[in-house]
Amino acid sequence: MSALVLNEIGKRYSTHQVVDGLNLQVDSGEFVSLLGPSGCGKTTLLRIISGLTHCDTGQVLLDGKDITTLAPHKRGVGVVFQNYALFPHLSVYENIAFGLKAKKLDPGSIDTQVKQALLSVQMGHFGDRSISELSGGQQQRIAVARALATKPRLILLDEPLSALDRKLRETMQIELKHILRDAGMTAIFVTHDQEEALVMSDRIAVMNKGCIEQLDLPARVYSQPETQFVLNFVGLSAQWQGKIQSIGQTHMVVRAGEAVLRCPSRPGLPVDADVLIGVRPERIQLRPTKSVTVSAESQAAQFASKQTHNHLSVTVRDMVFRGSNTICYLEANSVGAGPIVVELSANASFTPSTGEGVEISWAVQDTLAFPA
Amino acid sequence: MSILKNKASVAWLVFPGGAYLGIVFALPLVALLATSFISQDNHFTLAGYLAFFSDKFNYTVLFNTLKIAIWVTLICLMIGYPVAFAMASARASTQALMFLIFIIPLSVGVVVKAFAWTILLRSNGVVNRILTSLGIVDEPLKLLFTETGLIIGAVHVFLPFMVLPIFAVVRQIDQRLAEAAWTLGVHPVKTFMKIVLPLTLPGVVTGCSFVFSMALSMYVIPSLLIGDRYQTLPALMARSYLFMRDRQGGSVMAVLLLVMAIAIVVFSALTTRRLQRSSVVSQS
Repeated sequence: MSALVLNEIGKRYSTHQVVDGLNLQVDSGEFVSLLGPSGCGKTTLLRIISGLTHCDTGQVLLDGKDITTLAPHKRGVGVVFQNYALFPHLSVYENIAFGLKAKKLDPGSIDTQVKQALLSVQMGHFGDRSISELSGGQQQRIAVARALATKPRLILLDEPLSALDRKLRETMQIELKHILRDAGMTAIFVTHDQEEALVMSDRIAVMNKGCIEQLDLPARVYSQPETQFVLNFVGLSAQWQGKIQSIGQTHMVVRAGEAVLRCPSRPGLPVDADVLIGVRPERIQLRPTKSVTVSAESQAAQFASKQTHNHLSVTVRDMVFRGSNTICYLEANSVGAGPIVVELSANASFTPSTGEGVEISWAVQDTLAFPA
Repeated sequence: MSILKNKASVAWLVFPGGAYLGIVFALPLVALLATSFISQDNHFTLAGYLAFFSDKFNYTVLFNTLKIAIWVTLICLMIGYPVAFAMASARASTQALMFLIFIIPLSVGVVVKAFAWTILLRSNGVVNRILTSLGIVDEPLKLLFTETGLIIGAVHVFLPFMVLPIFAVVRQIDQRLAEAAWTLGVHPVKTFMKIVLPLTLPGVVTGCSFVFSMALSMYVIPSLLIGDRYQTLPALMARSYLFMRDRQGGSVMAVLLLVMAIAIVVFSALTTRRLQRSSVVSQS
């Protein structure tokens, strides 16, 4: 059974529809990220789930029970806030004990649970500290421990890592994932950082304008984006505008400028429809233009590859070195304007120089088509 | 900015203000203290204090002064505390309007305000006419020249001094602290008592010490709203100086008033510091 079910959730602020008929189901123990640009309604959705904001329409079900109108303190939904919202006048220990005291537990078991919570975030010796003595990463851990200590049925995290510097954020992504998994906690994590969502989540819900555009496994969100928005929001891609020329059984042919590209056919796209073609940068191979002698054997290989691969002749515009890889920005007059992005790994056998003419190719099944 | 690194030159910055306060404030204060202890033939004497404390009437005056000041402070707090919250959570335009409502009256002199209250509170004044026409009372209440009337007027005059310090503190409190407590399963009322109230205490202490020390030493408001029959310490002090020509008696009362005011300021400073040691208001 799903731990959390959202049914047709809608929320409007004056004229702005922040959340628009949204549906979502989260399984017990699952880690789901809400990924989207600022203003896409992800934080509002989190507040609706926690009860801090009321939705105009729809239902929130937790463990099968309708909690749409239940007050936040009766929901058992923990929240980790973006700025942690730790109580500045209480010690670390008192912060964590705060929610437990409200449960009217006996002092002994409160003490045990607070210490357990501190240990689970590796902050066992920090109980006596005051909040202002903690670093950003430590405050972050205490905020998680405080929310976990009350043993909520669901934990919501609102961009909890955005205030940390890059290095610490990457460490905390892994650590937080482990803490939540060890606690067996169902978690919903709000972020605008696609990398964070890809690293941490079991599933990602990509949000745009108050709706979920795609809810899928991280790998599929990246490699099989369902909409243009997902293609653009998650990761880089090379893109062209084109028109469908013909549609076959499995493939369709798209004319982009002077080039002809093939891609898997997609239902709902008729002949002559305008489409956007996209390819992920690491899917593209790059090699020098038609060089030296071509043996019969490699000619045959070339032929086969014509069936399964798209080819383009392009010019190198810019090379951006990024340590573990290099991003090449290419330009092809034959397919019209728009940069082509190709990712070269650091140990690539061939590195072109700016201004050089090269040839690129990629598999037909890696070619993504979207209604333009 | 290198000039500011030199401590000696920084010290000179204090000179104008220090000199001004020294001449017009500290010096007269010393003179006042001296007057209360020195007899007419230039000997040290406690006669002034003995005379004050041997008169039963003065205890009544002292009691009245403290009673009125405490009431005014409490009522200001009860009205001002929620107002400060409303102000802090209001949107910008409403907040500006509320600021105007509280700040503009400060530019009107106390005499004018107190006099306005004598017109409002008299038996055929606006307050009584509204009360009788609404049928809340059968005949006009006696408000002017009563303690009630005095407290109403004083609360109005001193309210901004309660609202502004509390507002300044409330504005800094992160609203998400209360929300966090709420999502931890804590009832809203308990959240307020355990989280919000402790964090606003520094503002409450400052506001109360402002209002209390001003209500303790007010002179114009009581003399217009309650008259000579009801004596407070400042009124008695003024009478000693102006009508009785008893400089020592007046000085004794002035010193007593000063001691009470200083006690309040020191107490509130200590309380605030103690509270702040355990609470850092903004963590950002």
